[in-house]
Amino acid sequence: MNTVARSLSLGLLLASAGLAGCAGHQSSEQALQGAVADYQQVREDTNVLRSAPKDVIRAGELLGRAERLSSYIGSADDVSHYAYLSSRYSAIAREHSKLLLNQEKLARLELERQRLQLALREAKLAGAQQQGKWAEDQVISLSTQQNERGLVMTLGDMLFDTGRAELKSSANRTVLKVVQFLQFNPKRVVRIEGYTDSTGDAQENLTLSKDRAQSVADVLSDLGIEEDRIQVEGYGDQYPVDVNTSESGRAQNRRVEIVFSDDKGHLSAPR
Amino acid sequence: MSFLLKIQPVFAAVVLAALVGCANDPAPTEQLKLTEQAVAQATAVGATDEEPDLVTAQTKLTQARADMAEKSYKDARMQAEQAELDARLAEARVLTQKSDAQVAQVNTRLERLRKQLGAGQ
Repeated sequence: MNTVARSLSLGLLLASAGLAGCAGHQSSEQALQGAVADYQQVREDTNVLRSAPKDVIRAGELLGRAERLSSYIGSADDVSHYAYLSSRYSAIAREHSKLLLNQEKLARLELERQRLQLALREAKLAGAQQQGKWAEDQVISLSTQQNERGLVMTLGDMLFDTGRAELKSSANRTVLKVVQFLQFNPKRVVRIEGYTDSTGDAQENLTLSKDRAQSVADVLSDLGIEEDRIQVEGYGDQYPVDVNTSESGRAQNRRVEIVFSDDKGHLSAPR
Repeated sequence: MSFLLKIQPVFAAVVLAALVGCANDPAPTEQLKLTEQAVAQATAVGATDEEPDLVTAQTKLTQARADMAEKSYKDARMQAEQAELDARLAEARVLTQKSDAQVAQVNTRLERLRKQLGAGQ
């Protein structure tokens, strides 16, 4: 009985020792397999090979050491150790590779940024040149004059039918140019002033002059100019530019004037 | 007697082997220095306790010093070797994260530029 118990306990002791040894062997085997997988991954990645060759070589050397040790009994701890070091070198190689790829990407993005900045400057310059062209060639040529009230553009009588306030379609081109000019000069504001000749009732003339000015303002606003940039005045038969005794003189007096502010938004006071 | 004489050389060889084994595991002073430098370097590039590998490195370095004090040189060396690579991995991770952030920032700037160009045309 005593012998049986003793041999049983001895058996248990041996079994547990075997299990422990087995467990250590298993975990080192796992570490080794993990290290092999990590190494395979970096070795097959051309980017990693290119950017961190030394780390990949170290990972391979340490893996070889772990594999050689794994054939010896009682070397589980050493196998685990070298497998761990190999895995770390593989991970470091991957990080170094990511860093290098990012640096290359940054260099490309920086070039792209410089290209876009250049394009933006050119676009702004072109816009500014177009502005200057508008001010000189277009707006001024449309019977625009610079006087003490500022830049003044005159829309002639022919743009309206007799007695009507609506702007005719022949005015579209002119209006579009004014809209574009105002869009290029977002700080400029305008005052639209209506005038008539002295024929007919003064009150009716005042109303007609104001309605005509308003219809020009409405078109500008419809085309996208903010309403708070547009003032409207009607002066009736006041401030004639020619005599009212001839037909040609009266035609000159029937007009709508657009007064532009300076480029800082300063507009002369109304009459 | 002759049996004992036969045993003695074997015994001597075993003792010698044990001594050689001891001699193979000197105090890993240089490795500890390397590890300390690696940890310092990782900290210098901005690795904090939020980087798990740096924490692991510091823990293992502490263990390695304790093993040194107990003259468990093999354990000290293994801990220190692992801690060195843990710290180097932490350093590499921090540098990668920083460059990720840089890439994101430049991309944001590019996006803004493209929008401005689109609006201007």
